[in-house]
Amino acid sequence: MKISYLRELFLFLLLILLQVLLLSRISLFGMATPLIYGYFLLKLPLGRNLFYVIISAFLMGLTIDIFLNTPGMNAAAITLVAMFRKSLMGLFFEKDEFEGFVPGMNNAPAPFVRFTIFTIFIHVTLLFFIESFTLFNMINTLLRIIISGVSSILLIIAIDKLIYRRKNSEQS
Amino acid sequence: MRNLFNFIIRNSHWLVAILLVAFSFYLLFAHNSYQRSVYLTSANRVSGWLYAASGNVSSFFLLKKNNRELLERNALLEEELQKWRENADTFTGNDSLSAKAFVVDSSHVLPQFTFIPAEVVNLSFSGVNNFITINKGSKQGIKPDMGVISHRGVVGVVSNVSANFAVVIPVINPKFRLSARLKHSENNGSLSWSGRNIREAEVQELPRHENYSMGDTVITSYSRIFPKNLIIGTVSDLGKSADDNFITVNLELATDFYTLQDVLVIDDRYYEEQKVLEEIMER
Repeated sequence: MKISYLRELFLFLLLILLQVLLLSRISLFGMATPLIYGYFLLKLPLGRNLFYVIISAFLMGLTIDIFLNTPGMNAAAITLVAMFRKSLMGLFFEKDEFEGFVPGMNNAPAPFVRFTIFTIFIHVTLLFFIESFTLFNMINTLLRIIISGVSSILLIIAIDKLIYRRKNSEQS
Repeated sequence: MRNLFNFIIRNSHWLVAILLVAFSFYLLFAHNSYQRSVYLTSANRVSGWLYAASGNVSSFFLLKKNNRELLERNALLEEELQKWRENADTFTGNDSLSAKAFVVDSSHVLPQFTFIPAEVVNLSFSGVNNFITINKGSKQGIKPDMGVISHRGVVGVVSNVSANFAVVIPVINPKFRLSARLKHSENNGSLSWSGRNIREAEVQELPRHENYSMGDTVITSYSRIFPKNLIIGTVSDLGKSADDNFITVNLELATDFYTLQDVLVIDDRYYEEQKVLEEIMER
C-alpha cells in the first residue's frame, strides 16, 4: 500500500514537470496544447477513496495553474473531472474489480482506452470552455478541443504502453 | 435533523468537490484579469527557481514588461520634447523681446502632440498591399488618420480602427504619400514607396537644383498627420525621374519593418480643427 502511494506521488510530480516544462509550450497548429496531467486520475486504483481522488486532483490542477499563471482554470476543470470519475468507471469496468485495481494497457487495454477517451475529452472540453468562457467562437473552441483531446489521448496511451513495457522487461 | 447530518456525511465528498471547484472559480475570477496576486503565480519562489533552472521563458515575459514600461516612458519624454520645441518656436519666431514677458508658464500649456504606445501584432509584407496591425484601438483613443512612428522614424498612418486594434498603412504601401524634404533644404518632395524593397522608398518631385549627397537625412515637412522634422530615412542614391524638371532620390528607410515591434501613435490635439478649416477652403 505504501509503495502504491509513493508511486502515485512520483507520477504526480513527473506529470507536472512534463506538462509545465514541455507540453504547455507546444502549440499544435497554433491553437491546441496536449494536456496529459489527467493521466494521474486514470492511474489511481479504482477503489481509491473519493476524498483522496478529489483533493489530489485539485492540488494537481492548482500546481499546474501556479506554473502557467492561470489561477483556478486547470484546478476547476480537473476537480470536476475527479467528481465524475466514479460514475465513468462504472461504465467501463466491472464493479468487483474495483478495489486495488489499477487500469492500464497491460491488464485491460480496451476498457482503459475507452476510459481514457471519455475522461480526457471531458477534461479538455471543460478546460477550454472555462478558458474561453464564451460561446462566441464555438468552431474555434471545438477545433481546439478536438486537436488537444486527440493528441492528449495518443500521448497518454503511448506513455502507458512505454511504462508497461519497461515493467515487463524488469520482470523477465 | 439527524437525516440532514446523515445526508451531509454520506455526500461529503461531493461537498468537498463543490467547495474546491468554487474556490477554483474564485481564483479564476479574482486573479486572472491581471497578475495582481504574486502569491500564486510564477513570481512564487518554487516555480521561480524551477523556471530559472529549466530555461528563461519567464524572463522573456519580464523583458516584454520592461520593454513596455520603457516605451511608455519614451512616449512621455517625446511629449515633453515636443512641448519644449513648440515653446522654443514661440521664442524665436516672434520678435521676442517684449513677448517673453508674457509667455505663459509652460506647465499650463497642453502639448499639441501626445503619444500612445502600441505593440505590433501582425505585419504583412507578402504582396503590394502591405499593412500593420497594432494592439490599441478606439478604446485607447486611436482614430483613423493618426500618424504612427517607431523610435527610429516614421512608420505609417492609421487607416481602420476597431475597439482594441488598429490597422496601419505603412510607408511601404503604394497608397502611402507624405510630404518630405532634405534636412538642410527647404524644398518639399513627395514620399512614396517604389514597391521593390521594404527597406527603400523614394522622394519624387524635388527641384532640379536640389543639392544632395549620400546619407543626407530625409525628414517630414508640412503634414496634417505628422509633426515636422521627424526622420524618415537617409538618401541612398539618385532615382529615375519621369520629368526633366524634377529629380527623384531613393532613400533607405529609418524604420526596419522586418523587426518592428513597438510603435507610438501620434495624437494631434489640433488635427480636427486644422482639417475643418482646410476643408472650408477646398469647397
